[in-house]
Amino acid sequence: MPALRMRDVRFRHDGSSSWALDGVSVNVEEGEFVAVLGPNGAGKSTFCLLCNGLAPHAVGGVVEGSIEVFGLDVSKRSVPEMSASVGMVFQEPESQLFCMSVEEEVAFGPENLGVPRAEIADRVEWALEQVGLKGFNERPPATLSGGQKQRAAIAAAISMRPRMLVLDEPAYALDPVGRVELYSLLRGLVEKHGVTVIVAEREAEDVAPVCDRMVLLRKGRIARDGPPRELLREPDLLVGAGVSPPQLSELAARLRKRVRGADLSFFTLEEAEREISEKVLSRPGGR
Amino acid sequence: MTGFMDFYTPGSTFLHRMDPRVKILAVVLLSLLAFILSQLLYLLVLFAFIFLLLYLARVSFGKAVFALKFLFRFMALVVVLWPLFDPVGTPVLFELGILKVTLPAIERGVAAALRIGCLATVWYILMFTTQQRDLVHALVRMGLRFDFGLALAIALRFIPTFSYTIEAIKDAQRARGMELEKGGLLRRSRNYVAVLLPAIVSAIRTADTLSLTLQSRAYGARRDRTYLRELRMRRSDFVALSVAVALFVLPAVAKYILAVTI
Amino acid sequence: MVSVRNLRYVYEGGIEALKNINLDIASGEYMALVGGNGSGKTTLAKHFNGLLRPTGGKVFIMGRPAAEMSVAELSRIVGYAFQNPDHQLFCSTVEEEIAFGPRNLGFAEVQTKERVGYAAETLELEDVLEKPPASMDLGTRRRVSIASVIAMDPKVLILDEPTTGLDADETKALMGIVSGLNREGRTVVLITHEMKLVSEHANRVVVMLDGRIVLDSDARGAFSDLELLKRCSLLPPPVTCLAHRLSHLGVSREVLSTDELVFELTRPGGDRR
Repeated sequence: MPALRMRDVRFRHDGSSSWALDGVSVNVEEGEFVAVLGPNGAGKSTFCLLCNGLAPHAVGGVVEGSIEVFGLDVSKRSVPEMSASVGMVFQEPESQLFCMSVEEEVAFGPENLGVPRAEIADRVEWALEQVGLKGFNERPPATLSGGQKQRAAIAAAISMRPRMLVLDEPAYALDPVGRVELYSLLRGLVEKHGVTVIVAEREAEDVAPVCDRMVLLRKGRIARDGPPRELLREPDLLVGAGVSPPQLSELAARLRKRVRGADLSFFTLEEAEREISEKVLSRPGGR
Repeated sequence: MTGFMDFYTPGSTFLHRMDPRVKILAVVLLSLLAFILSQLLYLLVLFAFIFLLLYLARVSFGKAVFALKFLFRFMALVVVLWPLFDPVGTPVLFELGILKVTLPAIERGVAAALRIGCLATVWYILMFTTQQRDLVHALVRMGLRFDFGLALAIALRFIPTFSYTIEAIKDAQRARGMELEKGGLLRRSRNYVAVLLPAIVSAIRTADTLSLTLQSRAYGARRDRTYLRELRMRRSDFVALSVAVALFVLPAVAKYILAVTI
Repeated sequence: MVSVRNLRYVYEGGIEALKNINLDIASGEYMALVGGNGSGKTTLAKHFNGLLRPTGGKVFIMGRPAAEMSVAELSRIVGYAFQNPDHQLFCSTVEEEIAFGPRNLGFAEVQTKERVGYAAETLELEDVLEKPPASMDLGTRRRVSIASVIAMDPKVLILDEPTTGLDADETKALMGIVSGLNREGRTVVLITHEMKLVSEHANRVVVMLDGRIVLDSDARGAFSDLELLKRCSLLPPPVTCLAHRLSHLGVSREVLSTDELVFELTRPGGDRR
């Protein structure tokens, strides 16, 4: 059973004349880390909101097509019902933390689900540990840094033990170091706990190294869908879709053109270093 | 950033450890008691008792002074002004035209000041020794609907953030040449709109995301939600509760049933 | 244009956000002010237009002490575009929004109209002058906010994280406009933590850490000390990191862009070692 199954999904916000999503079909398997990439207005947020029913139940609009999450028809279920399977994290950490302490925040979800007290305590500890905020129980959210706030928001979502976590531009308010930490945290969740993660982003730089699959969204439609290594062999694809590709992929593509015969496909700094020293710089004669 | 009206000072006094429900009840009873008592002597005793509690709460001197500075000034003001507006009673101590200062009036003024002092101080003690979230939690346990408790908690949590946003907006508009203090009425109103509107929009945006977040965390999924924090009454809490009730009931009975003047 | 001498700033509450800052910004420079959270970069920038006044030391704007001028007066010389445009937008049309600044400064209507026209043209907003800013997307709102600052004709333009929330195309468009403003002669101070942006646009980089300036050099020099950048919670562009790693093979460390690295790697050898 796929974690997410969308068939010909179209969505139009109330009051809008255009379709935010215009015929999207995609399958996400359990345990996959999928990056939904696209420029502003491509439909990424709408995509995220559809995963747990916030669209159309909270954000008014018209849905067409079918959306199934772990076999459940999202349109037939309320958001609170879906929240046990799908955790949601938004861009702005500040407006997702409304309790007076981190502990209350992380306990809120399970409390609402009626989880027994002792288990809530366990889940809170577990969630805080997963996001690296162990010991932060009593801290008021206002005293946390941007990165810590976002991690608290993630903890608050995973304490409900959802099988899928959807994040809409979670790195928005973070500095570059914070972004790297966030994505490695998410990768850890996928690998250690088999959580399916779907992230919406405007840029590929931070998410490409950690995701299993990139889905390019352009004007409400899927332009390309495939593993990052495959898509990034042609960075112009991303550029054409309005998404900035990782710098190293751009470099690889340009070098492939300039250096005849060199099959460069590096992705990370380590690979780049190795491939370039082997294939580019050690070439005899002209380079 | 401290919370809005957040006077809590951490500590481990018996007042800190007391069940917040008992504290709330005790504070309400003591406040009512201040109104039941009318004899200056008894009011002074109550006042002293409350100050003893304040001392036992081990609040730092600086914080206490800060909180009480305004209170004492206000109390002094009441004592001075009361007799000027209450010319009833004998003996008259001083007369000048329509101004008639009588001894009973002074006594009533002092009594009123003491009542205000008792009330304010006892509520301060509550805030000094109880975390806001415990207060809200106690209210919910005592019967306040969870929705209202949550709304209260959210409001308290966001007020400092909101005032921070307003400062940022003021800065942004000042950088565009807006001078809040200057200008005629029309200009100033326009300037306030320049601060208020973005502030309201910001608040609405936050509320929007907040509402989506609440739903995503299953808010409202079941009527019987569980609570991580437990409030359990211990023996010391029952003792404190009995003391507070006794302190209230005995004088009340004396005054209203036995018609003793207190 | 902007001179800072022994600037010290302490927040209410005792935190020393700026410790002995000395800085001179010349007219026409395109300076990047970078640093992690809490480094003091925004605190410093707010001294340039008087939003914050020094606890110690002095700030001079165009030779005059900033202390002598009010925020409104300083806003004629130093424009500050904040990170969140929604903190500034409140009017019912873009035109009114842009006119707000000049009107506050007492410009005559004729002059205001002229300034609005200029700002709208520069920020490519001519088509939406009659529309409400609230109904537009983030990229456009940010341009409106910058236009409303430019309309006051400041000689110095401070931009606080102007590309937050913008996608690739929007970023390119906006930074192009900013470069244009710099070419016109305006001094630009770009506060950012996106080192890629810095490498592409700034000709001077000032790095701050814990309230002090720890590096002040041209763009190339700034990227030569990766350790320092790391300590400041800054990530140099991947190509620069790669160049450093390959430096033992003769690749120049001072690589700022993909173009440069490609050139470095494919230029004829021999002169490499």
